[in-house]
Amino acid sequence: MQLNHAQRELTLKLVYYGPGLSGKTTNLRCIHARARPEARGRLLSVETHEDRTLFFDLLPVFVTSDSGFKVKLKLFTVPGQVVHEATRRVVLQGTDAVAFIADSRRSAGAENNAYWRKLRANMRENGLDATQVPVVIQFNKRDLPDAQTDEELEAARKRGGEPVVGAVALRGEGVMETLHALLQSAWRNLDERMRLSRNIGLTEKEFLSLIFQQLDLKGTGLEALYPLVEKQR
Amino acid sequence: MSADKTSLADSAPEPQRTDSVLQRRLTLVDMLDPETFGDVVDSLGELYRVGIRVQDTRGRTLADVKGSNGDFCGFVNASADGRSRCAALLARVNEGPLTPAQGPQLLSGVSPLGGQLLTVSCFTGLRYVVMPVVWDGDELGQVVFGPFLPEELSDLPPSLAEVEGVELARARVLAGRVRRMSEEKVGKMLAHVAQVLAALLAAGQKSYLTGQVHLETVLETQRVLETQNAQLMRLNQRLKEADRLKSSFLGTVSHELRTPLSSIIGYSEMLAEGLVGGLNPEQTQFVRTIIEKGNTLLKLISSILDMSQIEAGKVRLAFEWVDVQELVQSALTSVMPQAQRKGLQLDVRMPGTVQERVVADREKLRQVVVNLLANAVKFTPGGGRVEVRLSAIGQQRELGVEGYRIEVEDTGVGIPEDQRERIFQSFYQVDDSPTREYGGAGLGLAIVKSYVEGHGGRVSLTSEVGRGSCFGVVLPLEPPLSGQGPAYIPPPVDTEPDRF
Repeated sequence: MQLNHAQRELTLKLVYYGPGLSGKTTNLRCIHARARPEARGRLLSVETHEDRTLFFDLLPVFVTSDSGFKVKLKLFTVPGQVVHEATRRVVLQGTDAVAFIADSRRSAGAENNAYWRKLRANMRENGLDATQVPVVIQFNKRDLPDAQTDEELEAARKRGGEPVVGAVALRGEGVMETLHALLQSAWRNLDERMRLSRNIGLTEKEFLSLIFQQLDLKGTGLEALYPLVEKQR
Repeated sequence: MSADKTSLADSAPEPQRTDSVLQRRLTLVDMLDPETFGDVVDSLGELYRVGIRVQDTRGRTLADVKGSNGDFCGFVNASADGRSRCAALLARVNEGPLTPAQGPQLLSGVSPLGGQLLTVSCFTGLRYVVMPVVWDGDELGQVVFGPFLPEELSDLPPSLAEVEGVELARARVLAGRVRRMSEEKVGKMLAHVAQVLAALLAAGQKSYLTGQVHLETVLETQRVLETQNAQLMRLNQRLKEADRLKSSFLGTVSHELRTPLSSIIGYSEMLAEGLVGGLNPEQTQFVRTIIEKGNTLLKLISSILDMSQIEAGKVRLAFEWVDVQELVQSALTSVMPQAQRKGLQLDVRMPGTVQERVVADREKLRQVVVNLLANAVKFTPGGGRVEVRLSAIGQQRELGVEGYRIEVEDTGVGIPEDQRERIFQSFYQVDDSPTREYGGAGLGLAIVKSYVEGHGGRVSLTSEVGRGSCFGVVLPLEPPLSGQGPAYIPPPVDTEPDRF
């Protein structure tokens, strides 16, 4: 987190982590497509010729509150291929929350576990306390035949304290919900540790509304929570 | 957290490394190549005949091209009053950010780069338009476009007439050379500038970030490798030390064991020879068993001592002229008793003609052949066959010089393929189970390898499990270093202590 009091600006860094081809870039593409053009920058992707993420993807999202406080989100993905271990660590530096994108297929279980451990190890190596950086788990690719059942997902949820969201990122399902859980966790954590709410004069609800009113929530459960504001700021 | 930003919580853990470029706000200077960007702006200014200046938020100018206002402004600036008014206006524009409250007017529509276009009027009647450069929600700088002559301006304003020392008639003539433009036209031109700038910024941001992240990745990789290297070096140092201690310990212990054992064997031999009186047949048999087992133990201890000497780098080869045929025959006699006891057929094949003598350490070379033969005899079941072959002296392909070859072939148990490399290691046994069938310390072949290589030769092995093995050694006629007197066999691992 970077808080610039002089410029009344808060920047949060959020990282999408997970095994190769689990759908991290797809999540960012979906958020990009659903964000109002005024509230987002370009989606910066550096890919190999096989469409694999080479370094990272970056999507900036920015909104300004009524009181003139600017909130900027920097959404990153890490490269999933095994060889990019060092890049994953570089991208993960100073992150405020992590979305762990897991592949729901049973055959991907071992990969998911391996990357979960890598995430823990990378955090440790970066001096991040795993208990102080919230993680949200997305079970992506729920539509594939080999995917784990809802019961199994429920069991996975019970094995830890992290919020768990099911998703089919290619169709945009669960992407907004994951982002919502991610921002909520990040906010609560920073508020608890650094009194963010008092410091910048925003409640959690105001913070989330500020962002989610800039996103197209059609067809998601969040639509009712954040009704579209017609006139943009 | 960047140094110029205030932290909310001072207790927040500080990152151990310098912040990544991904945590930093980029500037225009990071993303644009000054030289080529300057060329692009030059060509745009030339095309529009209007001045264009691009500045970042710190006031650094990235590009600056003059327009068609040169003669007019030069004329106005020739007066001291005009010059000071001009400087004041430019200072206000350059310092930014401008707000409509300060006098500038809002131009209709928003900039294609985000933010609002502001017009700033000069006291001469000319006009500037200022376009903020907003990227990813951050204002990074501004484009100052102009001055140009507004289309709706019919005559130079009274504010120009107030300037001391400016002749209005001449000013009107020169103002005619300044490009006259409508607001709409200016809007279109700025949209074009903004598109070009956006394209350059997108490309620049991408290459700057990827370049920097690549660099950070390389540094991160190097940091990890250096840590691992340091760990490995510490570990290696400890292993070397442990290895040295082991060799020295084995050497000492073997020596200490050998001395009393020699006495045991010596006294037993005296007993057996009846030097202190006759023995009955049963006593004789017991004493012979003591001698035989004592000799076995002595050989074992000797080989441990040999190996520890090799590993400590203390083995010296004493080269002399050796008749290999005679040496092989003599080695054969030493394994004859065991072979006969097991009922093995022991064959020897020598070259048809008498060979010239070779240079070698007689004792060591004899031990090589004895070890190979003893090994073959040990691992060949009763009724089998062991054959030793000595080649004629000739060119040896493996060595690239003249030499000879000794091969020991058996019909024994054979060696599985995955173990063929390792059997030459000290203490290695194919069967290392506690219930193994064959005894020994696993040193015979390690000694063979060291001695052969000390002679500049090579060992080789072909084997088939269940059918038998063939060990070969190929040796040069003269070891490479034999001309320089005795040579030391280099130890198999680097036990050289640190010197610096």
